Amino acid sequence: MPVPEATASPVASTGPTARRGRFRLTRETVLLLLMLAGVIGATIAFPRSFPTWANLTSLLRNTALDGVMACGMVVLMVGGVFDLSIGSMFSMIGVLTAWMLTTARMPPLLAIPAGLALATLGGTLNGWMVAKVKVNALIATLGTMQVFRGIAVLVGGPGIANLPPGFVRIGQAEWLGLQSPIWLLMAVAVAGQYLLAKTRFFRKYYYIGANPKAALLSGISVERMQIFSFGLMGLLAGLAGMTFAARVATATSTSGDGAELRIITAVILGGASLSGGRGTVWGTLAGVLFISLINNIMIFARLSPEWQSIIIGCVLVIAVAMDRFLGAKR
Amino acid sequence: MTVSSPSVLLRAEGISKSFPGVRALHRVNLEVRAGEVHALLGENGAGKSTLMHILAGVFPPDGGSLYLDGQAASFTSPHAAQVAGIAMVFQERSLAGPLSVAENVFFGRQPVGRWGVINSRRLYRDTLEVLAELDIQLDPDTAVEFLSPAEQQMVEIAKALSIKARLLVLDEPTSTLTETEITTLFRVIGLLRDRGVGIIYISHRMAEVFRICDRLTVLRDGEDQGTFDLGDVSEEQLIGKMVEREFRYRQAGPVRSAVAREAALEIQGLSDRTLLREISFQAHAGQITALAGLAGSGRTELALAIFGARPITAGRILIQGRPAQIRSPREAIRAGIGYLPEDRKEAGLFLEMGLAANFGAASLERFGCWWLDDGAMEEEAAAAATHLRLTNLRARSVHELSGGSQQKIMLARWLLVRPPIFIIDEPTRGIDIGAKMEVHELLRKLAVEGATVLLISSELPEVLSLADRILVMREGSLAGEIPRPEATEETILRLAALPHSIHAHARA
Repeated sequence: MPVPEATASPVASTGPTARRGRFRLTRETVLLLLMLAGVIGATIAFPRSFPTWANLTSLLRNTALDGVMACGMVVLMVGGVFDLSIGSMFSMIGVLTAWMLTTARMPPLLAIPAGLALATLGGTLNGWMVAKVKVNALIATLGTMQVFRGIAVLVGGPGIANLPPGFVRIGQAEWLGLQSPIWLLMAVAVAGQYLLAKTRFFRKYYYIGANPKAALLSGISVERMQIFSFGLMGLLAGLAGMTFAARVATATSTSGDGAELRIITAVILGGASLSGGRGTVWGTLAGVLFISLINNIMIFARLSPEWQSIIIGCVLVIAVAMDRFLGAKR
Repeated sequence: MTVSSPSVLLRAEGISKSFPGVRALHRVNLEVRAGEVHALLGENGAGKSTLMHILAGVFPPDGGSLYLDGQAASFTSPHAAQVAGIAMVFQERSLAGPLSVAENVFFGRQPVGRWGVINSRRLYRDTLEVLAELDIQLDPDTAVEFLSPAEQQMVEIAKALSIKARLLVLDEPTSTLTETEITTLFRVIGLLRDRGVGIIYISHRMAEVFRICDRLTVLRDGEDQGTFDLGDVSEEQLIGKMVEREFRYRQAGPVRSAVAREAALEIQGLSDRTLLREISFQAHAGQITALAGLAGSGRTELALAIFGARPITAGRILIQGRPAQIRSPREAIRAGIGYLPEDRKEAGLFLEMGLAANFGAASLERFGCWWLDDGAMEEEAAAAATHLRLTNLRARSVHELSGGSQQKIMLARWLLVRPPIFIIDEPTRGIDIGAKMEVHELLRKLAVEGATVLLISSELPEVLSLADRILVMREGSLAGEIPRPEATEETILRLAALPHSIHAHARA
């Protein structure tokens, strides 16, 4: 492993204004190195089953929707907030869309936009509570997390099956050997990376996360920006939930359970921090992929899934502690 | 064995300390006697806080020795220093807000019964006792967060006293206090001194040093410039020792005349829910209009209200004679107002971000309407930095810069926006004299070039040397304007505080 530069500042190197040129041991590079090591190790250990197209695409497919949601979460976290309701939103929008398609017999062309609109509305509600009513993000979204889950169970019972084939096709379509969730992730991630790193609009989230008061006094509409980011998060969570329902042809009211903490973990692994002002989309994707890679390798190694949580938990804590250590050396 | 006069409490000999790339202290000597108030003077970066951190056991010196009561001492941790009787009251409060006064005074040392249960009766009584010793009227059960800054400071001092501190370090204790509160503080300092406590008093305010200190030591660039009795030196001489160049507050030049007859900024009957009442005034282009007043008189609140960051309940804001609709800082900036907040770190800077990001924060639209041109931002920031003689260009985050450099970055940010109206709140608080002069020069230049400058400052010499007009605030309303020819520190203070008793000296 390369020796970290003593003065490496994790703060400056995970934002969009990081200086380029000399190599720095950032969270992203560490993750990529660990992933590389994992891939090489697994390839050597399981040469016939691991490095196959089937395995890799299934790994990606299972990760894709987490990745889509993580792209929304990283924007929130750069701005210094987060959303615990996304797992419930994922499930609720799947169920509501399924209900519109089956019970209400709405055509997919109507039900899909309606579902996405509801998702955006739910997210905006979160944002409104946080930005305008000044409820702490943890508490506001902890509340809506339970409300959304309740609505999902109320409307869907255990689940809604027999979704119309026109809708199911959306989640199961394949192009160039890759399923639609993977394409969705690629589209969201590529757009997200450029938007977050390069545009003036999204750059404001770094300012808000770094110092909300100073951002306000510099003329940034902090409240509006926060509401927008929560709305965007809702939209992406709803999009993911809907795609998932289509892929498995069933909308269950238990899907997406625990997604919020898994995704926050991934975003932090990818270089963001709970206090805001840091984070990139690439790093986030690396975090998401890292978690699913560990999961995948565990399965091949025939280790019980509990090992996955133990390893990810350790990596998370060590990664963040390493930041503090490198930061303190300045 | 070292020979020292019996009353010497603490002696630091040849203290040196370096950090990577910086020599913070070089063979510094300091001697504090029991029962004296000893001022420690020096510009920012002169090494005062490094020296205090060594005394407090935060880190060890590279060389030199400390003697407490003539015995060699070395503090390996803040706790060890505390046990030895050294207490610090820093600018940043170290109190636990939601806890009571009593809990804070005896933090970690609450009297306990068997099983480690806190004896709240005794805690209350002991606290009352400590407060009574200092002659402070406070209820030990009040949560600290409900106290005023001055009362919180008293709690800190009570805390220091309760550990039987023999050496008390006060770092800029008056920066957030009103004149009356300062008087109370000085009374308490006098009490402690009479009881034989040695006090190290760090302050930028010369007048205070002359008011309560007995001796002083000057630091410059990490070296001590000697220790003096207050009676033997003049203010001019001291400043000369601090900055090495003869320095005199520039006397006010001829008053700049307003560029146009019409007011660039006019406030009519502005009130808010809690503090501001019926404030009306005009400010003209080409002039510096100062808002003087004591801390808490509502100057900052007025600035925030004009800037759209504080809701108002009545009143109008007119810009170039036309009413402006200002409901947020964003709208204020659009209307042509810029505001440099009083608390740079809290409300101005993005401490963990770089120089360019801080520089461009208020004018992102300038660097692209969709994509952001980071290269251009860096270039303009570098140019502005050179222009303002910012030295540490390589700093990765502005957090590493000195107060003066940070203030210059704030100025650069708003010079880039170039609003016709600047509201500048305490532009030189806590920055060294060199940077202060540069900031003053810049403000003068802004006015000469036709900007409307509204200056808020607690430093009367600053107000007197910069302002063309002086408005005085008192308890949320405008107390009046002092005609320039009659303006002195005395007349301003008289208007700012209600009658008598503001010049009461602690030294009886």
